[in-house]
Amino acid sequence: MIPAQFDYLSPQTLDEAVRLLGEHTDEAKILAGGHSLIPAMKLRLAMPQILIDLGRIRDLSYIREEGDQIRIGAMTTYYEIESSERLREICPLLPETAAQIGDVQVRNKGTIGGSLAHSDPAADLPAAIIALGAEMVAVGANGERVIKADDFFVDLMTTALDAGEILREIRITAPKQGSGQAYLKMPQPASGFAVVGVAVTLTRDQGGACQSAGVGVTGVASKAYRATGAEAALVGSSLDEQAINAAAATISDGVSLNGDLFASAEFRKHLAEVYARRAIQAAASRAK
Amino acid sequence: MKIEGTHELRASRDRVFKALTDPAVLQRSIPGCERLEQTAENSYSVTLRAGVGSIKGTFTGNVGLEDVQPPSHFRMGIDGKGQPGFLKGSGELDLEERDGATIVNYKGDVQVGGTIAGVGQRMIQGAAKMMASQFFTAIEAEAKTEANEPPPKHGFFRTALRWLSGWLHRTFKK
Repeated sequence: MIPAQFDYLSPQTLDEAVRLLGEHTDEAKILAGGHSLIPAMKLRLAMPQILIDLGRIRDLSYIREEGDQIRIGAMTTYYEIESSERLREICPLLPETAAQIGDVQVRNKGTIGGSLAHSDPAADLPAAIIALGAEMVAVGANGERVIKADDFFVDLMTTALDAGEILREIRITAPKQGSGQAYLKMPQPASGFAVVGVAVTLTRDQGGACQSAGVGVTGVASKAYRATGAEAALVGSSLDEQAINAAAATISDGVSLNGDLFASAEFRKHLAEVYARRAIQAAASRAK
Repeated sequence: MKIEGTHELRASRDRVFKALTDPAVLQRSIPGCERLEQTAENSYSVTLRAGVGSIKGTFTGNVGLEDVQPPSHFRMGIDGKGQPGFLKGSGELDLEERDGATIVNYKGDVQVGGTIAGVGQRMIQGAAKMMASQFFTAIEAEAKTEANEPPPKHGFFRTALRWLSGWLHRTFKK
């Protein structure tokens, strides 16, 4: 349980961090909250030669509003998201999701940017980020670029971030007033990771029919994904039981399902449908 | 752990089979392959630096091909160990020709043990699928390359481009 030897760098500014990463692209890893990376290093499954700690950089931890956009700094902890009164009002899906991550210790140290950049296939936040259609702001040697949530998660623990890029900020268009949101997961009892997790955001039109739907799924495949079939089945429907069941039935369509010792691919497929149904029901009951 | 999958390669079956059984091609195509030496007919000694994201490990071991029936079938056995754990297994590969493309079906059983199996169990199947997909993408590029052409580069172009753009940026900033 002792990591291999490594050098530790603690830049004071993001520019400095980007420069250091550019100099050591192949040997270095970025350290955010460290609650995935450090355990992997202690088991010597990860042996980076250099750690670049973002912890000393000021102003990477914030929740701000700009126009109709919510902007969250990459080093904002799960606890800060979970306990944000303002987020509970304008985007309750994020606090609801963050509150279900791991345990108190993990939530006190783990960060939204760390989780997204690590892209664990069973992490919770990626599902919410996809359902909300968020945008990720990455900064590298050539400046900044914005990556859409749908393009961000590429494969198992692989994101669209280049080796020399650092995730700086997450941008979310604030959901419309009266939208209904929910995140439901089946946690692995030992690790707390999502065996399946489904995040849903819905809006209704004046007649009560579903006007828009966002459905993000985690734990089921090698990366979090958007359930486009379920979204299409919901939009325009009256969100009655039949429509919700039909949408939930498509939740893992076209996806290569994970199987492990805890849950086979068949069991996961079943769980995904059950949790999709419950999450959609919860979101529908909250949408005005 | 059972692993199986199907990949469609847009190249003729003869060429795909040849690529899959050519040590030089395998060395270029297996993700993270650092060394591949022939030890006997259809038997190789390999060193792999394999992994996903920040999780990486070096494995050394042997790969053997059995029951080779060109151009449609062979059986592959692997046996390796490294710092993160060990793996041992075998699988059948079947190649089918369809409309000028080749459908590769693979099906096998692999035992994984050690640290990687203890803590990474939920990821192993995903990692195996991802590496298989990278491998067959590379094999497709190899099978499409004519004999007198230089071998294709897998993923190096992007790395080189990134290095060059970073270098230019740093140089002209000073």
